[in-house]
Amino acid sequence: MSTAELAARLYEACLSKFPPDHLFYQQDLLGLGIVPKNDLAQLLQLTQTLVDQKLLRLLQGKNDRLAWKIISREDAEKYVFGIELLQNLNPDESLVYNVIHSTGRSGIWVRAIQNRTGLPKSILDRCLKALEGKNYIKSVHNVKFPTRKMYMLAGLAPSEDVTGGAWFTDGVLDANFINSVSTFIEYTVSRKSWYEAPAVEVQRNKRIKTADGSAAAKFPDRSSDRQYLPFPAGYQGYSTVATITAAVNESGITPVRLGEESIVQLLQVLCFDNKLVSLNNGEMYRSIKNPEAVKAQQARKPGPIDPDADDDERRRLVFNGMTEAPCGQCPVFKLCAPGGAVSPETCEYFDPWLEKALGF
Amino acid sequence: MTSQYATELCSLLIEDNFGELFARIFSTLQRYDRLTLPRLRFYSRLSDRQLHHGLAAMVQHHLIYHYTSLEDGNTYYETNLQSAYYLVRSGKILEMIEDRLGKYAATVMSTIMFLGHAQIAHLETLPELKPQRSHANGVGEEMKEEAEGQANGVDGEHELDELVENAAIHSTLKALAAHGYVIQVRDAQFQSPNDNVLDAQRVLKARPDVKEMKGKKQEQFLLENTERIVKERTDGDLSRGLMFNGVPQGVKRKHSQKPNEERREYVDIDEDEENEWSDDDFGGNSPMDSNLVVRVNYPKLDVALRNRRLVELVDQESSSATAQVYDCLLRRIEYQTPRCRDIAEIPREGEESEQYSVPIRLSALVDDIDPYLDLSGSIGPMEVPQGPARRGKRPLENGVHGDTDDREGQPSSTTNGTSSSSSGASRTYEVDQHLCLLAQPPYNFTSKRMIGGLINWTVEYRHLARKLRHTELERIIEARYGDVALRVVRVLHAKGKLDEKRLQEISLLPFKDLRQVLASMQAGGFVDLQEVPRDAQRQPSRTIYLWFYDPDRVAAGILEDTYKAMSRCLQRIRFERARLREFLDKTERSDVKGNEERYLSEGELKTLHQWRAKEALLLGEVSRLDDMVAVFRDY
Repeated sequence: MSTAELAARLYEACLSKFPPDHLFYQQDLLGLGIVPKNDLAQLLQLTQTLVDQKLLRLLQGKNDRLAWKIISREDAEKYVFGIELLQNLNPDESLVYNVIHSTGRSGIWVRAIQNRTGLPKSILDRCLKALEGKNYIKSVHNVKFPTRKMYMLAGLAPSEDVTGGAWFTDGVLDANFINSVSTFIEYTVSRKSWYEAPAVEVQRNKRIKTADGSAAAKFPDRSSDRQYLPFPAGYQGYSTVATITAAVNESGITPVRLGEESIVQLLQVLCFDNKLVSLNNGEMYRSIKNPEAVKAQQARKPGPIDPDADDDERRRLVFNGMTEAPCGQCPVFKLCAPGGAVSPETCEYFDPWLEKALGF
Repeated sequence: MTSQYATELCSLLIEDNFGELFARIFSTLQRYDRLTLPRLRFYSRLSDRQLHHGLAAMVQHHLIYHYTSLEDGNTYYETNLQSAYYLVRSGKILEMIEDRLGKYAATVMSTIMFLGHAQIAHLETLPELKPQRSHANGVGEEMKEEAEGQANGVDGEHELDELVENAAIHSTLKALAAHGYVIQVRDAQFQSPNDNVLDAQRVLKARPDVKEMKGKKQEQFLLENTERIVKERTDGDLSRGLMFNGVPQGVKRKHSQKPNEERREYVDIDEDEENEWSDDDFGGNSPMDSNLVVRVNYPKLDVALRNRRLVELVDQESSSATAQVYDCLLRRIEYQTPRCRDIAEIPREGEESEQYSVPIRLSALVDDIDPYLDLSGSIGPMEVPQGPARRGKRPLENGVHGDTDDREGQPSSTTNGTSSSSSGASRTYEVDQHLCLLAQPPYNFTSKRMIGGLINWTVEYRHLARKLRHTELERIIEARYGDVALRVVRVLHAKGKLDEKRLQEISLLPFKDLRQVLASMQAGGFVDLQEVPRDAQRQPSRTIYLWFYDPDRVAAGILEDTYKAMSRCLQRIRFERARLREFLDKTERSDVKGNEERYLSEGELKTLHQWRAKEALLLGEVSRLDDMVAVFRDY
C-alpha cells in the first residue's frame, strides 16, 4: 500500500473514531491499527504527509510529546486556497492584501494602507483595482467618515462601528424603519404600563381643565368603556429591554434580528421624545400615554399634523402663552416697536387671530 | 428684571391702572434712574403740585421707593418695577383667594390692593366691605343674618351692628394674615433693597465693636449680619400666633359629598357651617389692631400660585385623586414657606443645589384629605394576575381585587366606590401610595423622608421649578420647530456639547433633517455652535464644531420676548379701543352704563359684545403670558 493511501486511511479513521478537537498522541494513532507493524518511522512519514496536506496540525502536547490535531477538509482546502491566492498575487498586491486582512471587520482607509505599505499611490491604486477585480476585497461605506474610501476582505461583514448599527442601511439612516420599530415599541411598552380597569369600575369620568379653562373629558368618548390606571410605585411588571427586544424580533417588522444595544439606542430616543420614561437606570421602561392614546396618536401620524385638530393631547403638550399669542409666531417680532414700521397698531396678525379665536 | 421691555410693560400697566400722571413720573424715573425732586421736576416737566400728588400716591402703592440720605439730606426717588409688574397678576391672585377663602376675603384683598396699603381702621369704615348688601357673601353670611334680625327688631341697635360687621372683616383679615397673604407695612419697605442693605451696613459699621475689627474679619461680620438686620426691618409677617397645629386660621376643609359636584356650589353651602371657623381655638374674636397698616404680600402669593401650577400639572399627568392628595401636601408646605427662593436671581443651570421643603408628616396629611375622596380607584394593582389583564372583563372582579385586598390589607372599598368604610390605617396606606406615585420619574413631584421612624413627605422645589422652565421652553421649541427639534434639544440638554456625528448617532435622525433643524434653531437663538480648532491656523476643515443648548440663555431671551408680547397685547387693546373710541364713549355714559339693553340698538349691542370678548381675550392672553413670566422669573 502506498504512503498516500495509508495516509488517507489514517485520516479517515481519525475523523470517524474521535471527536474533531481530539488531541492525538502517538499511541492513539498506532492504536488505530492502520500503520503496519507499528513502524514508527512509517508513522512519522504518514503524519508528515498529512501535515503537508494541511489535514493535520502538529502540536506539542503534555511533557513535550508530539501531538496532532485533525483539520476538516474544507478548512484545509481554504487554507490551501489562501496560499494559492498569495501565490497568484504579485508581492505588492500581497502586501496590500495582508494589510487589509489584518484590520478584519473594521475595514481600513486607503490613506492608511498607503501609510502602512509605503507604496506610491499609483501602484497602490493598481493593486487595489486588481484585488477588487479578483473579488478578494470590497470597498465599504463608513457612517462616521462618509467621504473616506475604505476596504475590507470580500468575505467579511462590516462591523457595527462601520455600518452605524442596525439603523443604517448602506451607511444612510433608515428613517422609515426606525419609525416603524419605534411605533411598535411605544405601543408594546404602553400596554404593559397601564392597568386596564374592568368596565364595571368605570363610573367616574375623570375631568381635567384644558388650556381654555373649560372642563373636558380626559379621555375621548370612544374609549370611555376602558379606563387605564397607573400602577403603584415599585411595580415590577413594566417592560424590560430583554422583553422589548424579544417582542420586536418576534413581530416580524424587522428583516434582521436586532440586538439589545440597538433597541436600547432606540429606547433612549423614545425617552428623549417624551414617549417613554426609563425606570431604575434604564432597567425598565414605562410609557407616558396609555395604549388608547398611543394608538390614536399613531393613527394620526401620517401626514403633517393638522393644526386645527381639536386634540387634547396635542393642546396640552404644545401650548403656552407664548405659542398662542400672535407675537410668539411673528417672524418680525424683533423689529416690532410702537410707532415703527412693524408696530402693535399696524400688526397684521392680531385681527386674524382675534377672528379665529372668537369666531366673528 | 430691569430691561427695555420690562420697563415698557410696567409703564403700560401703570398707565392702564392709574393714568397718565403716574406713568409720566414712572417712565421718567425709569429712564433717569434715581432722582431728587428738583431733577425729577426738570425731566418730567410736571408742576410741583402734580408731582407731589403723584409721588405721594405712588409711594402708597409701593410703585416708588424713596430714600432720604443722611449725608446730603436729599430725598431720592426710584421705581419699584417688581410691584409695578404685580399689577398684572392681581386678577389671578384674587381668583385664588376667592377659591380658598371665599368671596368676601377676595373683596377685602382687592380693596387692599386698590389702596396700595391700608390701615385696618380705614378698612372698617369702607362701605364696600360692609357685608350687608351682598347675598352669597361667604364669611359674613351668618353674622349678617344675625345683624339683620337685630336691626329689624330694634332700630337703634347700630353699635352691635357695627361690631358684627367688624367681626366679619377682622376674622377675614386674620385669615389672610395667617396665610401670610397680607403683611404689616414697615418703614424699611419703602426703601429700595439696596438702600436697606447699605443702611444696615452703615449701622453695623458704626458699632464700636465692629469698628475695632480688621479687614477680612469685618467684611465677614458685615456679610453675616446685614441680611439679618434687613430682614428684621422689612419683615412684616403677621401669621405668628394665628397658626394652629401648622394650619392657619380660617382654612376650610374640603368635605365634598361627591367629587363631581359643582365646586362653586359647595363652597357656598359650606360657608354656613364653616364660617365660625376655629374662633374657639384662637381665644375668641379678638379683633386685629386697628392701627395696623397692611399690604399685599406678593412673594407669599407666588408660593401659593406655584403650588397651584404644580397641582395643575399633576392633574394632567395623573388622576384627580392624586392631584388632590398633592394639593393637600402642598397646602401644608405653603403655610411654612415664606417665599419661592432665598436668593433674588434664579441660579444658573447646574449651580443650584437641592433644597427640600419642610417635611410634612403623613398622618397630618391624611387628616387634611377629604374623607369622601376615593383613593383606591385610581391606582392599579401591584401585580397583574394571569398574564395580560387587558382581556380582563369577567373573572377579574373577584380575581384582581381579591388578590390586592389580601395583599394590601384594605377592605374592598374599591368596588363599592366611595364608601368610607376603609379604616384609618389603610387610608394612610393609600395616601402614601398616591404620594409614592408622585415621587416617580420623570417629574419626581415628591420625595419621602423618614424622620424618627415616621413617614414624612417633602417637595424639592428647585428641581420642579427647573422642570417647569424646561417644559415651557420645550413647548415653544416644539411649536416653532417641530418634534424633531424637540428631540435634538433634549439630547443636547442631556448630553452637553456634541458634534454633528455623535448627535446623529444618539438622536437617530437623517443628516438632512438634523442640519435643517439645527440651522433654523440657531437662527432663532435656541442652540449654538462652538468652534474648537485643532491647530493654530483655525482652518475650518481642521476645526471641531460642537452644538450645545443653554437653557439659561434661552430662558432669559424668552422672558424678554414674553414681556414684549405682553406689552404688545396691551398696546393692541389700546389701539382697538381707539378704533371704537366714539362708540365706547357712548356706552360709558352714565345713563347708558348698566342700561345697555335700553339705550343701544341691536347692532350696537353686538359691537359691544364683540369688543368685550376681544378685550377679554387679549387680557386673558396677557395673563397666560404672565404664567410664563412666573415660571421663568419667580418660581
